[in-house]
Amino acid sequence: MSSGRLWLWAFGMIVVAFLIAPIFVIIIVSFNDTALFSFPPTAWSLRWYRALWDSRSWREAGALSLYLAVAVTIASLLLGIPAAYALSRSRWRATRLVEFMLVSPVVIPVIVLAIGLYFFLAPLRLIGTPAGLFLGHTLLAFPVVIVIAGGGFRRLPEATELAARSCGATFLRAFWHIALPAVRPSIISSAAFAFLTSFDEVVLVLFLGGPGTNTLPKRIWEAVKFELDPSLTAVSTLLIALTVIALGVAELGRRARHAAPAGEAL
Amino acid sequence: MATLATWAFRDRGGFTLLHVTRLIGDETYHDAFVTTFRTATITTVVCIALGYPLAYLMATTGPRARALLATAVMVPFWTSVLARSLAWVILLGRRGVLNAWLLSLGAIDQPLPLLFNSLGVQIGMVHVLLPFMILPVWSVLARLDPALPLAARSLGASPARTFLHIVLPLSVPGLAAGVTLVFMLAVGFYITPALLGGPNDLTIASLIEMVVRDLLDWSFGAVLSLALLAAVGAIFALGAVFAGVDRIAAREGRA
Repeated sequence: MSSGRLWLWAFGMIVVAFLIAPIFVIIIVSFNDTALFSFPPTAWSLRWYRALWDSRSWREAGALSLYLAVAVTIASLLLGIPAAYALSRSRWRATRLVEFMLVSPVVIPVIVLAIGLYFFLAPLRLIGTPAGLFLGHTLLAFPVVIVIAGGGFRRLPEATELAARSCGATFLRAFWHIALPAVRPSIISSAAFAFLTSFDEVVLVLFLGGPGTNTLPKRIWEAVKFELDPSLTAVSTLLIALTVIALGVAELGRRARHAAPAGEAL
Repeated sequence: MATLATWAFRDRGGFTLLHVTRLIGDETYHDAFVTTFRTATITTVVCIALGYPLAYLMATTGPRARALLATAVMVPFWTSVLARSLAWVILLGRRGVLNAWLLSLGAIDQPLPLLFNSLGVQIGMVHVLLPFMILPVWSVLARLDPALPLAARSLGASPARTFLHIVLPLSVPGLAAGVTLVFMLAVGFYITPALLGGPNDLTIASLIEMVVRDLLDWSFGAVLSLALLAAVGAIFALGAVFAGVDRIAAREGRA
């Protein structure tokens, strides 16, 4: 290895350390026995996990976030998959424009989206309700499905469904039995990312939430900002674990895609 | 249907703009715009400096090392921004990990003020946005034909010359996508400045929050939002020229 390459690696390792150090610190501190965020811990314990479990407000926040994220994931898939399929098969010239408009919530600052949604939801009396939050999260999550599942549909040759159609399958049947199973890995990935998008969402809930919408991120936000409760490190560790699991699911989806391109469905 | 919703509420923001005659002549607003753009510029430059070498490494190394490096980028990328901000509070606080270590090593006599100022915001933002630089640059570098730099080398170009005249120009689309994404997200960033910043680090986003939550002035909040949206739109348009819409839209943002 040349010396230049060695320097590159040394620098790269520093960048990697910068990227992952905070995650390691959180995980280690969460097993600390003292109430101070001392590092490295002098004594180990699971007391902050126990405190988390015993706290009703944390439990309720976790449950609400979970319900919300599941509902958002399902809605995003229901909206996103047909849209992604239509976009990938359309020959209409304005397709690109439609696609851009559909994914635009992703590039707009969430705070701008929050203000816009306020004007949209206020007349419907949805501010401070889980339903309002559900709409907002779906707006953020379904572009994720369009991008990821759309990539899957685009890689699937149209001839696959045309073959089914020519054998007498209806359009719906060809979609349901041929196209959809063929892109299953992409759909699993997109579901994992849509789930995370909703589960971690902070800004919308801060602006559009109310007393009835104490999601996990909102509870964390308040704890970081006002009390620095040591249970925070425990809940953050659980979030990191969830992220790793979701990434693992998405990665499995990606591998399956490479291992069995479309052939599996035929 | 969803498209309609997207456009409907944006239009609503637009209509309020017509009704609001309040001038944005106040110093506070100017300062917030200056702070926001300064922070975003520094963040972008630091992200290039840290991200490009790592992306280059990821593109040129073997599959196993690449998988490890990619994990090191992807896990923080998808980890809750809140959890990461908390980590920086623990690491950088007055009695935080870093200060405690530096004190015990005798390197400093007094804790360094690393948090609740612009330095804290800067560190936190670079951490959140670095993957948005690494991923597009990596994807362009990975698709670069390895024969090209080899050809340059065999024709007698030094490694530095090969990099500057062959690799760097060919990676410009990825770099442009990364710069656009990082800058665009940095300008609209809310969480990190709010948690790691001090009272002097008022950004446009935190200003919107103040106007809306403390003054309950949603209309004026909408005006500021539109200003922010215009800024982001301009950056996006500029980026789209250099990088293409696809590259930017494919990296979905979560800031």
